[in-house]
Amino acid sequence: MTEKLCTYHRSDRDVTLIAYVYDDIDASTRVEFEAHLAACERCRDDIESFRDVRATLSHWYPPEPKPRSAPRQAVLRHPQWWRQMPVWAQVAAAMLVLGVSAGLANLDIRHDANGFTVRTGWSKPAAVAGSQNTTAMKDSSTVSRDELLALEQRLRAEVRQSHASTTPAVARPASADAELLRKVRSLVEESERREQRELALRMAQVITDLNAQRLADLRKIDVSLRGVQNNLGVEVLKQQQSLNYLATRVSQRQ
Amino acid sequence: MTWTDEELVAKSIRGDADSFNELVLRWERPIYALAYRTIGREEDARDVCQETFLRAFRALPGFRGQAKFSSWLYRIALNLCRDWARRERRAPVVQPPEDIDLLELAAAREPSESIEDLVARKDLSRAVERAMALLPEEQRTAIVLKEYHGLTFQEIADLIGCPLSTVKTRLYQGLTVLRRELAKTEKL
Repeated sequence: MTEKLCTYHRSDRDVTLIAYVYDDIDASTRVEFEAHLAACERCRDDIESFRDVRATLSHWYPPEPKPRSAPRQAVLRHPQWWRQMPVWAQVAAAMLVLGVSAGLANLDIRHDANGFTVRTGWSKPAAVAGSQNTTAMKDSSTVSRDELLALEQRLRAEVRQSHASTTPAVARPASADAELLRKVRSLVEESERREQRELALRMAQVITDLNAQRLADLRKIDVSLRGVQNNLGVEVLKQQQSLNYLATRVSQRQ
Repeated sequence: MTWTDEELVAKSIRGDADSFNELVLRWERPIYALAYRTIGREEDARDVCQETFLRAFRALPGFRGQAKFSSWLYRIALNLCRDWARRERRAPVVQPPEDIDLLELAAAREPSESIEDLVARKDLSRAVERAMALLPEEQRTAIVLKEYHGLTFQEIADLIGCPLSTVKTRLYQGLTVLRRELAKTEKL
């Protein structure tokens, strides 16, 4: 198949063509291009196909936004409280968690001549030798549960204090937006309520339609069944008559 | 009495919150539609829409009316869409649901529309959505602004900050890709 050649003399053929398709073209260029179109099959084809594409594009609708219980905070995200914590507090909290976990697991950490050993409370020690040394080491390095709890409480208090001191600083700049945010949300919620009502109405209509259709179908099936039953009855009657006739003939012969 | 956008903007700057609410009501749907068609995700489009109005409100005192209010809003929304795409580090993808939700379909039915017509309409919409998702971002943006928001070539050029001929070239290239992709769909 040979390609149709376009003889449009201007270099901006595509640009002119698209301006013509969208009817956003100055008068003189339009006249010139229409004169060209009369003789150019390729441009005519392009214009026609682009108009078809545009007609198809008009069928794309964005979905109705689904109602959601609470507005998402992906874009309007407020800083989370743990992000406002100082790094030292985050590190301390992580260490506290590790310490508490170790305490709960009854972790036994030793460093002796055999090297560095970590053992849970449920494991038996491999050797008793040199226990004096290791016991001394254990006494100096083991943290009691009470100490851990005290540390946890102290850190929690510090975190709370830190949180309390940073919150107003964050809230102040946000307060200017809070009112607007509230209004935008209420508008969005109102729009969602409207859509929900509309959806409910449509659903009710669909259910009514479905019920009506179901009833009509059931009626049709009923009528058809009766017709079949009638036909069957007639057939059975005919069969009985035939059998009676045959029986009569047989008995007459005998 | 119906106020123009510019009048409502002026009243909002003077502190009339109701005027800004009116602007939100007026432009919420177009901005949501623009965001959805650009990034293809319903939830994110809603977030972009919400953030657009928030940013517009913050920047309202600086709005001098050098552009139309709608163009200004479109620019904010498009910038947010671009930020979104950059943040997500992926090309915007339209993800139509795999399964057809019959209840949703039924709810979307026009009163005089048969279920077959409705399914055909949804299929066509999905085909367009898929084809649009294949376009490079700049072509898709040009087509969305022209086809669905009726902006002139000049308005689009001003909005995206590129020469007029570039806008037309992007439209030509975009429509050419769509023609090819939609033809494939028709053959299926």
